[in-house]
Amino acid sequence: MSIPAHSLQTRSLRKEYPGTVALDDVSVSFLGGKIHALIGKNGAGKSTLVKIIAGATQPTRGSILVDGLEVSLFSPRDALKRGIVAVHQELSLVPELTVAENILLGRLPKKNGLGNSVIDWRRVFARAEHILADLGIHLDVREKASTLGIAQQQVVEIAKAMSYDPSILILDEPTSALAQHETECLFDVLKRLKTRGVVLLYITHRLQELHEIADTVTVLRNGALVGTIGIDQATPAAIVQMMFGEVVQRSKPADLTVPREAFIEVRSLSRTGAFQDVNFTISKGEVLGIAGLLGSGRTELLRAMFGADPPDSGELIIAGQHVRPTSPEQMKELGVAMTPENRKDQGLVQILSTRINLCMSSFNRIASHGFLTRGREERLVEKNIRELDIKVNRTDAPVAFLSGGNQQKVVIGKWLNTNPRLVLLDEPTRGIDVQAKQQMFQIIWDMSKRGISCVVVSSELEELLDICHRILIMRAGRIVSDVRPSELSLENLFAACMEEEA
Amino acid sequence: MNVNPKIQSLFTNGILEIILVLLCVVLAVTASGFLTAENLLNVLRNVSMQGVIAFGMTMVIISGEIDLSVGSAVAFSACLTAFVTQKLSAEWASLPIMLAIAIAIVFALIIGFFLGVFTGFMRTRYQVPSFISTLALMTGLSGAAELITNGFPLTPFPGWYNFIGGGYIFGIPFPALLFLLTFIILQFLMNYTAFGRSVYAVGGNAEAARLSGINVSRVKMMVLGITAFLAALSGIMVSSEIMSGTATTAKGWELDVIAAVIIGGTSLMGGVGRIWGTMVGVVFLGVLMNGMTLLNVSEYWQHVVRGVIILVAVLLNLLQKERTRR
Repeated sequence: MSIPAHSLQTRSLRKEYPGTVALDDVSVSFLGGKIHALIGKNGAGKSTLVKIIAGATQPTRGSILVDGLEVSLFSPRDALKRGIVAVHQELSLVPELTVAENILLGRLPKKNGLGNSVIDWRRVFARAEHILADLGIHLDVREKASTLGIAQQQVVEIAKAMSYDPSILILDEPTSALAQHETECLFDVLKRLKTRGVVLLYITHRLQELHEIADTVTVLRNGALVGTIGIDQATPAAIVQMMFGEVVQRSKPADLTVPREAFIEVRSLSRTGAFQDVNFTISKGEVLGIAGLLGSGRTELLRAMFGADPPDSGELIIAGQHVRPTSPEQMKELGVAMTPENRKDQGLVQILSTRINLCMSSFNRIASHGFLTRGREERLVEKNIRELDIKVNRTDAPVAFLSGGNQQKVVIGKWLNTNPRLVLLDEPTRGIDVQAKQQMFQIIWDMSKRGISCVVVSSELEELLDICHRILIMRAGRIVSDVRPSELSLENLFAACMEEEA
Repeated sequence: MNVNPKIQSLFTNGILEIILVLLCVVLAVTASGFLTAENLLNVLRNVSMQGVIAFGMTMVIISGEIDLSVGSAVAFSACLTAFVTQKLSAEWASLPIMLAIAIAIVFALIIGFFLGVFTGFMRTRYQVPSFISTLALMTGLSGAAELITNGFPLTPFPGWYNFIGGGYIFGIPFPALLFLLTFIILQFLMNYTAFGRSVYAVGGNAEAARLSGINVSRVKMMVLGITAFLAALSGIMVSSEIMSGTATTAKGWELDVIAAVIIGGTSLMGGVGRIWGTMVGVVFLGVLMNGMTLLNVSEYWQHVVRGVIILVAVLLNLLQKERTRR
């Protein structure tokens, strides 16, 4: 007996905000037993559509049908009752609770006695373990959520969604924080869900994932539905065409050559529990990639080089000076910059304006005789906006209003204003759309041409192959090899990162 | 609706200023004696001692911290000034009174500054919330003031000392001039220096500020230090006004000061606020109290009204923010 497949349909779904139409009469249907990719640029209306389906916001007009029946969803609670569960990009775990409690939040199994109000801890942990095992994930359910990395938190979010036994599961960029093997693990789970007739809506920016996981591809642009195509028709060119109309795919410029003399040297840098005895050199203008799985120590290494989490031992040699990084302030003075992995919380002050964010690392440089005037700031900001092609209406409005790609440009602009020698970029393209990614590559190459050295950490290995002169592979806190992109296929690079310690 | 955008922006950004002007107009009509130079200067004099602290408190709150010790710090500084003056001019040494007072004032200001820096140090080095450390200081300084005065007012000051808290220059009360001077300096500091920008960055997101290469510890120690310095200055003004060091003065001032800052549009969440807003908030509360006194409103009602005003002001601010977000 086959399980009847669920279905989800929208009819002329429209959402207006004062001054803009976020969703423009979208009628689309999704069948159970399939994985439906939903793609589109930032601001294309994906999030709005998902929010409406998940009951988080109400449409201006239009209707939603679940299994052929019209439903009214006034709150996420209503949606949950209909079996609609959404995993949002923003993580919503309670840091001080255990993994198990987070998964079963609000529905902890109770014991009989005292009016059925005593938590049955044994069952809590057993159920949570069962759900995680079902997903093929190994995590200690007794651990506090605050001790987990971003990828692990994402996994817990998904486990939490699964615990509702959903008939419609919406995943908003679930893999953006995951390493390759974790992504595969997630895909296995999704494929298993397909056989249960669940409608799977999958929002992603990673186009290369589509062929691995999606059955259909639905594209939104400017709030309107462009169309739905089967995966067999979804060539990269077709998808990019649907998302953007016309766009130029950039490839590495031919004139991107690098003088091969050591410019900055990292000597036996170690930080207990993160990485040990790391040695390498960077040439002037070189784009150096660091590949490795989550937990390989790549982010920790960057943060140590920047003084954000100072190393226990070792040193950097910059322009002939031997230094042990102790604080970002000190490293900034030496010409080192870092764009952090978590752009939203660590790269920018969201409530402050684009202008102040762009000037944040260089207030002292901008000021003359201690004076800091708006005019001096604005001249610099205008230059940044022009050079980096930042799309911003008003530079004195909070930077929070900008899209992910533009926010990333602001973070980079902030550091360019310090006139750096070395820029450390941690996941510079996370959560930004294809076009913005291409621009980000171009910005990195431009820095390289100006003689600024870059170190790029990215989970997207194909990206590293595209943009770097040289790639270091990190595993379990050590650098295990030093390769040139031309010598290596993507498969080999994956394999090199994945290899177990001998 | 077609509202001139300039007028609209005046309403969203200057709502408190508009209400202040309206309040003044109403009082000018209803309260006889309100609209006289003498009364208005009096208002300015009355707000100046809490006012100087309010500007510092604005920086502290923008930086994401709080200082509950300012009331006690005023009393402590007043007592310390009196104590040192008395000792130096009569008991331990017999310095000329003017020199003794000068030393006492400098000493009180320096001690005040370092008490604030200490709070900042506890905050950044040991992660003690400023709410807790300044709560401790609030009690501690109050006790210390009682200890050095032995529970009685100290009165070592000669008559001319009254000038600082009660004198006039060209008809303008001297404390009001100190108040305006503090305003100008801090307005400049917050808007035209790298340090001022850093305060906003630190309050908006301390970690992002740190990763931008800003020395977060130094910023926090400085704003708390400056505020404690201003509380000490206020204490000297108070000691001059009442011509004594009395341990029980300035009780509860911290809340009045914080109220003025909040009314002025500074967010307790940090990262948002203006020195000018605090200026308006301080004057607004001063005018309101003065008006109610002139209208013979009972003191009990005055407290109730002030409570309502604080709530309404914050509410207005939040609504305004919500509107601009859309």
